[in-house]
Amino acid sequence: MFKVKVRTKLKASIVALLLWTGLAGLCGVRALGEPQSPAAQADPARESWRKEFDDVCSKTQDAMTFSQEELTDLIRRCDALRPQIEKLDESRKKVYLGRLRMCRGLYAYVLDAKRNEKK
Amino acid sequence: MPTYSMRRGTRRNERGFPLLVLACGILILGKIAFAQIYLPNAPPEPAEYGKVILDNHATAGPGAVVFDHWLHRSKFTCRVCHVDIGFAMEAKATGISASTNREGFHCGACHDGKRLFEGKPIFAACSDAANDKQCDRCHSLGKKGARKYEYKEFTAKLPKGIYGVNWEAAESSGVIKPVDFVEGLSVKMAKMQNRKDFSVEARYSWVHPINFSHEKHSIWNGCELCHPEIFPSAPKGTVHFSMFHNVEGQYCGACHGKVAFPLNNCRGCHQGGPLWAP
Repeated sequence: MFKVKVRTKLKASIVALLLWTGLAGLCGVRALGEPQSPAAQADPARESWRKEFDDVCSKTQDAMTFSQEELTDLIRRCDALRPQIEKLDESRKKVYLGRLRMCRGLYAYVLDAKRNEKK
Repeated sequence: MPTYSMRRGTRRNERGFPLLVLACGILILGKIAFAQIYLPNAPPEPAEYGKVILDNHATAGPGAVVFDHWLHRSKFTCRVCHVDIGFAMEAKATGISASTNREGFHCGACHDGKRLFEGKPIFAACSDAANDKQCDRCHSLGKKGARKYEYKEFTAKLPKGIYGVNWEAAESSGVIKPVDFVEGLSVKMAKMQNRKDFSVEARYSWVHPINFSHEKHSIWNGCELCHPEIFPSAPKGTVHFSMFHNVEGQYCGACHGKVAFPLNNCRGCHQGGPLWAP
């Protein structure tokens, strides 16, 4: 009888401990980082499209230094990103499609300029 | 016979006079048209220059927003807002709304109540918790005293040019340090390779050439704000843009005449040209 009581108490203590740990964990997460705006939340590194977007569009400042092959590859990567961005919610889609258009446009512009130079 | 000759002479004069009047008329109209096309209208007062009224939902909401470019360009580059945040360069093309602001886009990209600027949190745009006074800070059209900053006081310490603040001097002297990166939105980039400046020869001998500085422009705009949408690719010498295009808001006129120094400031581009066109 005594053993059963002890077991029941132990189980209750474990459950309570687990509940407290979970609650404390949740509060800790909230305390460590303030909730971010959906736009910022939408940008964690785990989003593969965003990683690719950042990588492709971070090179615009150096566009003039790339070869025609490199520029063609960057344009291809921009085109591959487009369908992924089109799947996003309306606000993000609008912002990032605009940015992608500008980024791709610049690479195409430089590629065109390089081709014209050769003529 | 002499009478006949005189009559012929009179007839010639009768025919010639209207032609002369017509020619003069064409010349005068041509000159007026030239002046109207090639010389822009005088810009408004510097405090009003670059003012944008956003009235997408003015009738239903808290009133139209008044956006002053002079306030924001003292803190941020053109590129960070028009490329990274996605503000279009044309009216009503951005699709801005209270909900996009709350979601952290458009104004809400910075105005989220959490981001710090110069050590202070930037107030949240379109927050549910905002009171009327806070809403009026942006939704200020026709509301006297609603704005926090006034042009005269705000720009008092900034260098001035022939027309309002000389932003180029303000930036190059370090009086202002426009931010070009918004955490969570901007992409980290390498420093731009220095682009070569170039000279644009005018088609008319009486027009002074332009010394175009890529460096000065790219500090504010990066590359993709101008290319290819404002200045598309074309083989050298095939595009002839003129003041007519600029006054119409194309090419240089996409910014100059709206936000960047006005087109009336001839010497701003045409070195050695007149200081100011009336």
